Amino acid sequence: MAAPAVIALLLIGTFPLLYALTLSLQKYRLTQTAGNGTFVGLGNFLEVLHDEDFWSALERSGLLLAVSLTLQVVFGMLIALFLDGNPWRRLRNVVQVALVVPIAMTPAVVGLLGRLVYNRDFGLLNYLIGLIGFAPRSWLGEPSLAMAAVIATDVWQWTPFAALVMISSLATVPPETLEAAELDGSGWWSMVRHVKLPYLLPGITAVLIIRTADILKLFDMPYILTRGGPGAATEFTSIYVQRVGFRIFNMGLASAQAILLLLLCIGLSRLYLRFVYREAEAQG
Amino acid sequence: MNNSLCPFSLLASVLLGVTTLCSPALAQKWDLATAAAPYKGTQIKAVFLDRPGYVAAQKLIPEFEKTTGIKVTWETMPYENCREKQVLDFTGQTGQYDVSLVDGVWIGEYASNNWLVPIEKFTSNPKLADPSLNMKGFFPVVLDSLGTWNGKVCGLPFDCYSGVLYYNKEMLAKAGFSEPPKTWKDILEKYGPALSKDGKYAFALQSRRGETQSCDSFMRVIWLFGGSLLDPSTFKLNLLSAGSQAGIKFRQDLMKYMPPDVVEWDHDEAVQAFAQGRVAMITEWSAFYSTLANKATSTVVDQLGVAVEPAGGDGKPHPALGGFSLAVNAQSDEKKQAAAWLFIQWITSEAKAKDYINAGGVPARIAAYQDDALKKKYTFFGPAVESWEKYGNPVFRPRFPEWPAVSEVIAQAGCEIMLGKFTPEQGAKTINQQVEPLLKDYVNGKKPKLQ
Repeated sequence: MAAPAVIALLLIGTFPLLYALTLSLQKYRLTQTAGNGTFVGLGNFLEVLHDEDFWSALERSGLLLAVSLTLQVVFGMLIALFLDGNPWRRLRNVVQVALVVPIAMTPAVVGLLGRLVYNRDFGLLNYLIGLIGFAPRSWLGEPSLAMAAVIATDVWQWTPFAALVMISSLATVPPETLEAAELDGSGWWSMVRHVKLPYLLPGITAVLIIRTADILKLFDMPYILTRGGPGAATEFTSIYVQRVGFRIFNMGLASAQAILLLLLCIGLSRLYLRFVYREAEAQG
Repeated sequence: MNNSLCPFSLLASVLLGVTTLCSPALAQKWDLATAAAPYKGTQIKAVFLDRPGYVAAQKLIPEFEKTTGIKVTWETMPYENCREKQVLDFTGQTGQYDVSLVDGVWIGEYASNNWLVPIEKFTSNPKLADPSLNMKGFFPVVLDSLGTWNGKVCGLPFDCYSGVLYYNKEMLAKAGFSEPPKTWKDILEKYGPALSKDGKYAFALQSRRGETQSCDSFMRVIWLFGGSLLDPSTFKLNLLSAGSQAGIKFRQDLMKYMPPDVVEWDHDEAVQAFAQGRVAMITEWSAFYSTLANKATSTVVDQLGVAVEPAGGDGKPHPALGGFSLAVNAQSDEKKQAAAWLFIQWITSEAKAKDYINAGGVPARIAAYQDDALKKKYTFFGPAVESWEKYGNPVFRPRFPEWPAVSEVIAQAGCEIMLGKFTPEQGAKTINQQVEPLLKDYVNGKKPKLQ
């Protein structure tokens, strides 16, 4: 009975992975017919590890991950707590529906919207800061502002996801536990820290794992928003891998980069499970 | 010896003459419908960009379909994805696109990998070759740079670009200038200070990372003061020469008269800024004339002036040269190849050149640019023709297969020079360091020095 599912899983998940692994051990440049398929062992991996551009891209991805993910978890939790304790049911329902809108937008559209919002001459952001007396800025033309623009856009699109997951987590808190805490005279912070947080931790772990993988492979939105620029200011690992794979067509090297990213992603997920989820189990 | 014609000889001569005149091969005139008859119902697919020349082609295609019965479809894609999709098509041997779109700088890569069919296959076939094809009717520099590699013609010039200077006559007049700048130094020393004020800028050089940075921005300034990317005899990089450095430094100096985020500007942003009167001058492709001269897409139609790009330090303009040819995909089947060739031959023909221009395209057919009525209507004709005929540099960008990888390096370092992360010298050294390994086979003589 399980055979079709197993075959599908092998075809969809395992085969591409194994193929990428095979390519990563070969010299394989699509635009050069000679010498392709030559086994180079770990040569591609060593080349990646000695590639300054790859490390720079990884640094930028790390910055994006650290700032964006932290903000998404914090804002997501605040929204979830606000809605959880909100007595106005109608407001809660409207906000919950509104939260789905950014998530439902395709990243390409978000990138295009971003180009309009951050445009120096007729963008919404410069219009708004102009109302309070600030001079227009080149949001996408200055390296640090471009990075901020990408982070802000990612936070805008994916904080709702974190919020929705945490709303679901909060829904699992037993009412009698909340009542008991209230009878004990727990304040708001004490209630959050000691009663709600243990129930939030599995949701936070899920957000961390899913969003880490998403951010490490984030491509469409920043590519359309900045195309990795100005210069290389927003060239994240995914954009760099795409450049090596589909502009220089060095498939062996790009596969090695992708495999290393996969390993990084798995490593981070294990860390989250070990330190965040275990915390939840201990508290549970 | 009797010189008089015997009656039999006379009869034989008459019969021979009649037979010759009636011979289908010689007497019957080549026409498209007849040539296309064996391919009626064949569907071919072309690669198009979202640019005026392709919108123009789309307007003409129904006529070709009606005449030939060949169905032409197309996929419109952004420039940045165009090479990627085609290379994957070629290497995957999927034959998805029968009519390949070849940027001048891709011709080396495509042709040397045998992904394109040299046109000789079709021009040597009397059934497919239009006798009025007239290869000499193309501007030679355009045919050489867009469609020819290693002496073989693989594509016919289709969407052809010369860099020209678009200027806003009214903005220049208000600043006290009766004519466009003659030299780049004029822009820096006179026009720049006078025109950059009140939130408007004298000039914009589209410089977004990608081919826009490497071609439109970096390579445009490299040639201005005697510099070049390569030494053509050795293929060693020449970016640290005084001439090349002067060009890169000049661009840095000019930035104070350009919008501060110009390093993020692609063609669209530059054309739009000019079309809205926010920038007084741009150096852009001739292909954008139709956008700037159309009241639906430009507010400066009545103020639009077009000139040859300003001269560099040697008193000579070095206009950008670019554009695309159409070529037949070597992996398409024979029938589709023939149908694709008939389409390419037709859309790039002298006969269709005027219609193509009137629909918004820029062909490379000399004859069309000699038409007085068209010359009067399209003011870019003079500067574009002068650029192609007098100043066209077929190696404005090298066209060897390594160019896309070289371009990636230049695009990144070029942007970082503009942003001040690198000095021009550091930028040149960074480029040298990354590009030298790509060109080592040329330098040490393992590959012929073709560009």
